[in-house]
Amino acid sequence: MNVSRRATTVLQYAFLGTAAFLSIFPFIWMAISSTNKSIDIISGRTGIGDAFGTNVANFFSQVDVPLVFWNSTKLAVLATLLTIVVSSLAGYGFEMFRSKARDRIYALVLLTLMVPFAALMIPLFMMMARSGLINTHIAIMLPTIASAFIIFYFRQSTKAFQTELRDAAKVDGLKEWQIFLYIYVPVMRSTYAAAFVIVFMTNWNNYLWPLIVLQSNETKTITLVVSSLASAYYPDYGVVMIGTILATLPTLLVFFVMQRQFVQGMLGSVK
Amino acid sequence: MYSKTNLSRIAAGALAAASLLASTAAFAGEVTVWCWDPNFNVAIMKEAAARYSAKHPETTFNIVDFAKADVEQKLQTALSSGTTDALPDIVLIEDYGAQKYLQSFPGAFAELSSKVDFSGFAPYKVQLMTMDGAVYGMPFDSGVTGLYYRKDYLEQAGFKPEDMQDLTWDRFIEIGKQVEAKTGKKMLGLDVNDAGFIRILMQSAGGWYFDKDGNLSIQKNAALKAALETEQKILQANIHKPAAGWTEWVATFTSGDVATVTTGVWITGTVKAQADQSGKWGVAPIPKLNVEGASHASNLGGSSWYVTASSAEKDEAIDFLNEVYAKDVDFYQKILTERGAVGSLMAARNGPAYSEADPFFGGEKVWQNFSDWLAKVPAVNYGVFTNEVDTAVTAHLPSLGQGAPIDDVLKAVDSQAQGQIQ
Repeated sequence: MNVSRRATTVLQYAFLGTAAFLSIFPFIWMAISSTNKSIDIISGRTGIGDAFGTNVANFFSQVDVPLVFWNSTKLAVLATLLTIVVSSLAGYGFEMFRSKARDRIYALVLLTLMVPFAALMIPLFMMMARSGLINTHIAIMLPTIASAFIIFYFRQSTKAFQTELRDAAKVDGLKEWQIFLYIYVPVMRSTYAAAFVIVFMTNWNNYLWPLIVLQSNETKTITLVVSSLASAYYPDYGVVMIGTILATLPTLLVFFVMQRQFVQGMLGSVK
Repeated sequence: MYSKTNLSRIAAGALAAASLLASTAAFAGEVTVWCWDPNFNVAIMKEAAARYSAKHPETTFNIVDFAKADVEQKLQTALSSGTTDALPDIVLIEDYGAQKYLQSFPGAFAELSSKVDFSGFAPYKVQLMTMDGAVYGMPFDSGVTGLYYRKDYLEQAGFKPEDMQDLTWDRFIEIGKQVEAKTGKKMLGLDVNDAGFIRILMQSAGGWYFDKDGNLSIQKNAALKAALETEQKILQANIHKPAAGWTEWVATFTSGDVATVTTGVWITGTVKAQADQSGKWGVAPIPKLNVEGASHASNLGGSSWYVTASSAEKDEAIDFLNEVYAKDVDFYQKILTERGAVGSLMAARNGPAYSEADPFFGGEKVWQNFSDWLAKVPAVNYGVFTNEVDTAVTAHLPSLGQGAPIDDVLKAVDSQAQGQIQ
């Protein structure tokens, strides 16, 4: 009994250790590579080199870093806030207001999850072009704001929201928007936090749609810049590594800051 | 953006009005260019733009770099959706994909035959951008091929530079066996998951995956068959050092493990980057296949500039390309020296950079040689589906090493290619 339990523990740790190593290794290698010259990276050097300063200097001289980060940050933060406001309202509405049409509309919303973005791209592009929005950041945000997945996520989480709270608030004379703002939002804090992390990551890493919409060096985001650096005939991998590190940092930061709430939110707990 | 659309309409109107007033209308627009390598075509385009702006200060340029796959994706989306507002004035397209864009989107690119004298360019470059007798692009960098070889290893094996001229592939393999016997070095690096070597051999005999009319041609393709046979002989003679992927393949010769490299001229910079190997390298014409139409000249890769037909700055863009890329010999010296770019304008060979003897290659005038071969590269039809068929060929290359009969390989490639194309 004791032996088999110990064996289980060992197996568990071995499994978790392997999984952790597999997830973390690319980051470690990215960090190590950023200190090496391009030619050493290609030859697979695993030691820490002395080219970090040169790589950073080259990256900053090749890329307009403040502008690119401003573009990415502005896009990701604005799109995330808008998505969360719109989609959480929708999720709340779908769960709270009963009507015959509700589940049919909801099914339609979920159906959009099954359409791959590649199929929507050309019609969307034509819409944006006709509205004169090509090469604007608005064109990138608009299609992402009503996110079927986040609506679904909020509706599922709202099922755990006690309707007694809403009834009591109604008796106390609160209007629907006040209930949403003063009761629902604080109670669903961790759901919001998890949604924020997910949506922020999606928007920050968004690649295909910005690539199609954006037309000039002045509007480009960090993902496009890294992609362009990496596709040269002879890419400077040291510079590419600096780019990927800088592109990864904000999502890591957001995740670590909100880690506790994120885990709670994913577990669906309501306090 | 609204205002930009209006602006460009006004600009187009103004241009039209101006050209009515004076035949030598001054341009005053911004030319937008899409290309993909900051150290290569982007930098070269900036140089070209600076040269043009110096003479025409009213013309400005907006050169935007995206990844190559990204340029293709954007171009495809804008053209498929018919949204011409979103297109640049000039776009760089890889030569293998040129016919795909020209044939899939007729009318999308400006015809240049009446405005540019194409007789000064390498004929194969002009051919690949020709559709129904009209030329639609401005030839840019060439991937004319050469046989780079280590003089020191070959000398040890008893071969002089004269022995490396006018080779056949069979002779190449014999030499390879002796090189290995005497020096222990392999003759070449070979990646059996890359069809680049096959494409070089096939084009050297005037063949491609498609016939002159663009129809798929695999089973009865003598050049392709000879190319596959050659690769099989090399694999079976075991004179190659296997490489998995591009970086390993490059390492086969930078590390001094192999005696030769057969590839496009753009590799020169990488070869020369090994300063300690200076004086040890030579460049000969590539060996010849044993089929009808075989030659010592071929090509790997390369790209060219295209002007979009809907561009408001179309005339200006064409004038720019014509003035720099079709006429400026000095420009070609500069991009050869600074960026290692071999253009397709034959007159460039008369400039000082092309005439120089290179000590790295033991004083050989390598650029004059490449220029000679450039003029001789057989013109082929890259067709609409080069990349798709290439995938099918690549999938069956490893079976060559296992001794599969060539006709069976061709049959398998054919059926897979048919499936990919439909």
